[in-house]
Amino acid sequence: MRRYGPAALLALVGTAILRVSLFSDLYLRYVQAGLRPYLVVSGAALVLLGVAVAVVTNRADEEPGDGDDEGHAGHGDGDDEGHAGHGDGDDEGHAGHGHGPGGPRVAWFLTFPALALLLFPPPALGSYSAEREAAQRAARGVGTFAALPSGNPVDLTLGEFGSRAVYDSGRSLQGRTVRLTGFVTRGGGGTWYVTRLLVSCCAADATTAKAEVRGAQAPPVDTWVTVTGTWHPEGGLGADAAWPPVVDARTVRQVPQPDSPYEKR
Amino acid sequence: MENQRTESRRTAADGIRLGLRALVYAVLGGAALLAIATVASVLGPVLALDLYTPPVAAWWTVFTAITVQGVPFLLLGTLVSAAIGAFVPERVFQRLLPRRTVLAVPVAGAAGVVLPGCECASVPVAGSLMRRGVVPAAALAFLLSAPAINPVVLVATSIAFPGQPEMVLGRLLASLGTAVVMGWLWARFGREEWLRLPKRSGGRAPGGGPRAFVSGLQHDFLHAGGFLVVGAAAAATFDIVVPRSLLEVFTGSAWLSVLLLALLAVVLCVCSEADAFVAASLSGFSPTARLAFMVVGPMVDLKLIALQTGTFGRVFAVRFSAATWVVAVTSSVLVGWWLL
Repeated sequence: MRRYGPAALLALVGTAILRVSLFSDLYLRYVQAGLRPYLVVSGAALVLLGVAVAVVTNRADEEPGDGDDEGHAGHGDGDDEGHAGHGDGDDEGHAGHGHGPGGPRVAWFLTFPALALLLFPPPALGSYSAEREAAQRAARGVGTFAALPSGNPVDLTLGEFGSRAVYDSGRSLQGRTVRLTGFVTRGGGGTWYVTRLLVSCCAADATTAKAEVRGAQAPPVDTWVTVTGTWHPEGGLGADAAWPPVVDARTVRQVPQPDSPYEKR
Repeated sequence: MENQRTESRRTAADGIRLGLRALVYAVLGGAALLAIATVASVLGPVLALDLYTPPVAAWWTVFTAITVQGVPFLLLGTLVSAAIGAFVPERVFQRLLPRRTVLAVPVAGAAGVVLPGCECASVPVAGSLMRRGVVPAAALAFLLSAPAINPVVLVATSIAFPGQPEMVLGRLLASLGTAVVMGWLWARFGREEWLRLPKRSGGRAPGGGPRAFVSGLQHDFLHAGGFLVVGAAAAATFDIVVPRSLLEVFTGSAWLSVLLLALLAVVLCVCSEADAFVAASLSGFSPTARLAFMVVGPMVDLKLIALQTGTFGRVFAVRFSAATWVVAVTSSVLVGWWLL
């Protein structure tokens, strides 16, 4: 039975990946949207590979005359890793070398993330991560930006709002009503922010974009809100005092957490 | 006749015994599974809520995120490596690479351009190149350069640093330089016995074929995947334990900041396609320090050390990573001083 361990493990990891990428939008909590096709393809490939490995193992079991081949192609590594392990006293007993017919032992660590994804998918990062990280603004030159899209109010990402507020010499935000969506974080002295995490590859590289909200009561931390209001200029162009940008709120509305919890950088 | 009858009786008895045993196992196992499932479904959510403090939740999210993000690239890498192992004959590489190691190293380093992916993919590929008779020095140069200088990464860097093409050039030069220097260092000082290569191709039928492909792929992916999980856990732990605001303490000194960002690259394990954006957001640091972050990151980080330990052995991973870190910092300081 242990011989089918690798096959089962591959199928488990593949299923977990498919569960978050193909059958739901949960993958957006962990990686950026563009990775979805690769996740679907690799999830499917892993399930297929698991089946193929099971077939190879099964066939090797059924061919008793083919004993030699079984050791190599069927499941593996008992023989070969044996060589590798022996020459190297220092490394012996390392987790990765425990190869029985069940495949590399270290591989069983894969069950942790796989089961987590299948049973309790971890939540998207929220205010805890945002507050731990001093909000960083991507340093860039002051310059003019493309004209804002039409619409009143105009929907902006917090990243876009921040860049335009601090670096736009054309002052394109002036006189426009904007709508920002994010979760609530608290600052010192009763200030509060509408905040969003920016992710470019996976949640491990998350950075923070936020805007201070004035003129409205602070909702509880981590509630998702849509803030409609106007930009409140503060500090000079490109100056440190211009960060974080400020929005004078007209309305603050609670919304459900969007499917895509992060902004693409 | 008598014999046969006993025989058949024995087989029948064996069959019954086997059937009984299977039944007992099924009943016991089924009951145990049911019990576990019931307890887990009742207690699970309660326990989960209690233990799910924000830091723990963030740890799990970062941990799964690194793993999920790494799986496609790891699969790509193991696919390429299993394909090399099963279908590409040794003489192809002997013809492609110059015979002399001194020349083979830079050629292999420059060849890193062709593997678009992040660092998870390059470790298994380098392993299979060595098994296919490529000199270790050249394979190692490829291992270091591939995740750092491929087009996807360079384009990401130019997007993260708009209007600063010298940053892209600096990254290309410093990374390629590090890879080539490390290849030469290995050729000069490296010892075969540090490198523990799974000699799997040796025992297998020459030519390999689909069966070798499937079992090579299965083994490589599971092995490297396990180590990826270990690395992801380490990275998530550092991500939660080390507050990034601590960094701002060190922005004052130019030298300290280079070393600090080079260490940060090791513990954060940001994938090479994203590290430029993280570097760009570390606005308090000098350009050279940020360059060091981007040069060290794809070559030395916790997840890579774990992966290399799995593929090449711990003795190798420790020495090689330490040396690479020093060379990478030196080369980014030199390039940064010259270009930035």
